[in-house]
Amino acid sequence: MSHELDLPPSLQAEVETARRHVSLSPELEARVMAAVRRRAASPQQRAWRWLTAPSLPPWALLAAAATALLAFVLLRPASVGSPGVASPLATAVGPESIYVRFILVAPNAREVALAGTFNGWDPTAAPLARADAAGTWTVTVALPVGQHQYAFVVDGRRWVPDPAAPAVDDGFGRKNSVVSVSAAQGRIL
Amino acid sequence: MQRTEEPSDGTVVRAVLTGDVEQYAVLVRRYKDRYARYASRMLGSVDAAEDAVQDALIRAYDRLPQCRDPENFAGWFFLILRNRCFAERRRDRRSEGLEQAQEVTAPEGLHASLERAEQVGSLQRALLQLTPEQREVFVLKHVEELSYDEIATRVGTGVAALKMRMHRAYDRLRDLLGEPR
Amino acid sequence: MNRPAAWLVLAMALGPELAAQDDVTARLAGRVPPAIAAAVSALADSARARGLPVAPLVDKALEGVVKGVPADRILPAVRTVLDQLDAAATALRGTGGTPPSDDAVEAGGFALAAGLTPGDLGAIAQSADRSHPTAVALQVAGALAAIGVPRAQTVGLVQASIQSGGPVGDLVSLPGQVQAAMARGAPPAAAAAGLERAAAAHQAPRPHGQGKGKGNPHRP
Repeated sequence: MSHELDLPPSLQAEVETARRHVSLSPELEARVMAAVRRRAASPQQRAWRWLTAPSLPPWALLAAAATALLAFVLLRPASVGSPGVASPLATAVGPESIYVRFILVAPNAREVALAGTFNGWDPTAAPLARADAAGTWTVTVALPVGQHQYAFVVDGRRWVPDPAAPAVDDGFGRKNSVVSVSAAQGRIL
Repeated sequence: MQRTEEPSDGTVVRAVLTGDVEQYAVLVRRYKDRYARYASRMLGSVDAAEDAVQDALIRAYDRLPQCRDPENFAGWFFLILRNRCFAERRRDRRSEGLEQAQEVTAPEGLHASLERAEQVGSLQRALLQLTPEQREVFVLKHVEELSYDEIATRVGTGVAALKMRMHRAYDRLRDLLGEPR
Repeated sequence: MNRPAAWLVLAMALGPELAAQDDVTARLAGRVPPAIAAAVSALADSARARGLPVAPLVDKALEGVVKGVPADRILPAVRTVLDQLDAAATALRGTGGTPPSDDAVEAGGFALAAGLTPGDLGAIAQSADRSHPTAVALQVAGALAAIGVPRAQTVGLVQASIQSGGPVGDLVSLPGQVQAAMARGAPPAAAAAGLERAAAAHQAPRPHGQGKGKGNPHRP
């Protein structure tokens, strides 16, 4: 249906020129990372403000529902790697997400992963790490505000819902777990 | 595009999401220029493109947990940038009644010193008169040199609709550039 | 397409969050057999045409493939999701007012899947207000139903919590509170009933409550 556009030579030359690679200023990276670092730091301040003078923002908040499922805030990104840390304050990845720690007790498992709607049900995206000798596995991921379904994948094969979370039919004869995530100012369980 | 020893986009995204914020610089470096040409043709100047890319990279960080397919960060980021480019054109359209001299993006401003190497030609000026969708299909086809199938995948529109848009873009360009139909 | 009105329509159509506008084809490519991808894309087109969110359909298809479900059981599950979204959207649109957001429709679909009825959705939507958005109320209702709180009590508890005028965090904490009570031995119905009584009795704003006080709400 489309017939080609015959550009006169002058305009064709302009198209050729337009195809030249465009490089943006090298300072752009610094400006972006400065903004990113500000965002990584600021929810901490917001969390402080929430604790001291709690006026909640007008947009939607929804806290994690399960008791063993701790939706809480970590003080600094560096602390995420150590599951034992349970600092009560947090950074979110951005203003619309929060770190959530998932826990499964599976002493006999060789590997455990977390798969859900937040990572396209990819069993390789969020492996859990053994936290102690008693078979506690944990992982902490940043989840967007809202509601998500998920399950644990044990030894690459067995799909196990979170025993402490609400469950819904997955439509395939199994159950999925549900987590609802709040913003940085949400309730902390 | 990526050297084999470098981490994949998915790996970097996941690292950022588990708290290693500094890793985001890897993605910034990888993608700051990737769509710069597209943005500058959509917006009419490299300056405007730089603002758009910067905004889009920051917004992508804010929304990173909502990137459901981290290995396809490139495609997801493109959509964020695209939306930003379209939004800018919407803002400009509202002031269009004040005449082209008010255009935030290139044409009139370009006779100022810095952009000497980047004269806005009559084609670019004409492109800025198209709707964003028409301009985009032209830019992706003739500047980015993508196939219709590739364009369709990137912007989520069917090939037939894209060809229709291109047809209209051509007609409009002919009118604007004084070409015989 | 050169008329300003048409252009504006297009411009507004680009408004919604890009993150929610996952490209169906791109998300399915390479992860799902082509036949399934094609069928899901068709369902997604149908969903889009009806103004329904598309991402839950793609999520369900990906989930089925990853879980090793046979292809002939994946599409019925995706269709079920579509039906639930459709039913939720219909129930929510029926209450009048602003059209439901994608989040509200998704939450409504989830609530239906958890056992609530379209009528329940409508009742909850009508109780929602600026501080307690529909999407949040439905997410909480769905979670309560999923824990085992009976339908009628789920609706009653959510409504009582909203109408008590407390911050949305109170609403949001309900499933956790029910689970905590259940952990102490209370059946879900009794736990919910207790919380509803507490919410209904709540009168004054909290000491740290927000400035936006609520007027005495009407009874449902």
